[in-house]
Amino acid sequence: MKTRRCPTKLLVCIKQVCETETSFLIDETGRWIRLEEPSAFRMNRPDEYAVEEAVRISETIADSSIEVISVGPARVSAAIRRALGMGAAHGIHIVTPEDGYLSPFVTASWIASFARNREYDLILTGVMSEDEMQGQVGSMIAELLGMPCATSTVSERLLPETGTVRVEREIEGGLRDALELRLPAVLTIQTGINEPRYPSLSKLLRANKYELETIDSRSIGDPEPPEQVIRVSYPEHTRAGLVLNGTGQEKAAHLLRILRERSLIQ
Amino acid sequence: MIDQNIVVIGEHFQGKLKRVTYDVLACARELERLRPATVRVVLLGDDVAGPAYEIVQVTGLDVIAMHIPGLLSYNREVYTGVLEDLLDVLKPAYICAAATTEGLDLAPALAVRLRASCVTGVERVLEVDGRVCFARTMCGGKIVAQVRPETDAAVVTVQPGSFEVTTSEDTIPGAVDIRRVDFEPRRSRSLGVTIGQAEDSGLQEADIIVSAGRGIGKRENLDLIDRLAALFPKSAVGGTRPVCDLGWLEYKKQVGLTGATVTPELYFACGISGAQQHLSGMRGAHFIVAVNSDPHAAIFNVADVCVVEDVATFLPLFIKEWEQSLPARETSTSDSDST
Repeated sequence: MKTRRCPTKLLVCIKQVCETETSFLIDETGRWIRLEEPSAFRMNRPDEYAVEEAVRISETIADSSIEVISVGPARVSAAIRRALGMGAAHGIHIVTPEDGYLSPFVTASWIASFARNREYDLILTGVMSEDEMQGQVGSMIAELLGMPCATSTVSERLLPETGTVRVEREIEGGLRDALELRLPAVLTIQTGINEPRYPSLSKLLRANKYELETIDSRSIGDPEPPEQVIRVSYPEHTRAGLVLNGTGQEKAAHLLRILRERSLIQ
Repeated sequence: MIDQNIVVIGEHFQGKLKRVTYDVLACARELERLRPATVRVVLLGDDVAGPAYEIVQVTGLDVIAMHIPGLLSYNREVYTGVLEDLLDVLKPAYICAAATTEGLDLAPALAVRLRASCVTGVERVLEVDGRVCFARTMCGGKIVAQVRPETDAAVVTVQPGSFEVTTSEDTIPGAVDIRRVDFEPRRSRSLGVTIGQAEDSGLQEADIIVSAGRGIGKRENLDLIDRLAALFPKSAVGGTRPVCDLGWLEYKKQVGLTGATVTPELYFACGISGAQQHLSGMRGAHFIVAVNSDPHAAIFNVADVCVVEDVATFLPLFIKEWEQSLPARETSTSDSDST
């Protein structure tokens, strides 16, 4: 195996999402969602675990650096700064003109073309985004860059001296799938692998003054989206969905009656 | 016009076919109903004969079994390498895999290789303006999106439990085509599948499961969940993945796609948003009560009874109401083995 040059370079791909408690409205075209104003945005939680994992790796390897990249409109810079506050050294923002459906393939293509000649040893991202829940971008980046990849990673050990990373993927039934990947590699990080830290105040203050590397998405290729979202709607009820009314006390009494009638309680 | 091809990637482990393969087949059958097609199942691995013969017997479909010596479990590099060559020949319009950790690992990679579109977590197949679309949920289950592939081929992963699995009697068995392929991965090496955690959580045996989501607010409120569960005989406490990630509950208590699948008499969902990940593990419950302060929470779409209240205020009211309704002399209400 070829020897790795120093330093070890890590790239974490993050997404900014809106709070899931938000009400999602359907826009006038019926093809995409609109958020209730004002809405709160934050870093996608699985990506927080990915940033934390990168910080932990970096703490064990003397000569290493972490960069964070995100794709999206101007607001996304807040999530990048939070990652800087957690310990990343540099932030890259691929700026898209507006909100709307962005095919995971398009996002992955942009990140891959950015990362292609930058010699990252390890690219990390969350297992999926909490809003669209597709879980495709990390896997596609790996394939576009010809790198090996492990998804749903629940433990990892980077071994720069052998040019490998050992990982365990969480699979169904309480099992784990152990793998060794040659670097450079892509890992998508499952939630629960660590405890994401809060950004430190001093780092956040520095992050707020830090000039992010911004790239106009139109300047790094125009990949054709392989799929379109043609309609969005609210899900149908699959069960009775009896909504209890009244005060909390009345609802409690009503629920008790229902459960008794069904012999679910004595 | 020649029928199009549909390929189903079967999941198997240690010589046994995984049930989820039938969920994927049910989706393929829906696609076949919209457009005449030949559905084939493809299996890859060292030990594929057993699962292959099960499929041809049960479904009557033909199976291509790629016998890859040494491949004891799923490996992304091997699967994508072998499938790329095979699918280049078959040119399927749809490649269907399960929305499992395996399918989610494989599908986007395969889509990139085949220049196909990729739709994950498919729950429904439909035709809109003469074109095939896939419905999937997003935003924690609050929104359904109809996704239309714009490419000749689409790789889709099928959400377990979304399609009705039917079996017919008197099926004429299909044919098994075993093909030996040697494929050495160059950039990855499987080190084996191990057991991550003990399974004994009491969830499977429980008649009643009281389950907590992040919406319970804080760890201390788990006391309410425990108190409520203790009032029911044969009960157990469960939770969502985020609650386990926070360390509030052990992972063995997790209900959902990457946790336990349960079918209790009563599933009492407290502060659970209802993301697909979780619903996959509990939608088979006989009766579902949901308590959540967010009236738009997706859990209400699958619930029999919906209580729009904050868990921390409602559960004490409910517990008190219940306790007061019991005869005063009753002393064994918290004995969970009493019946």
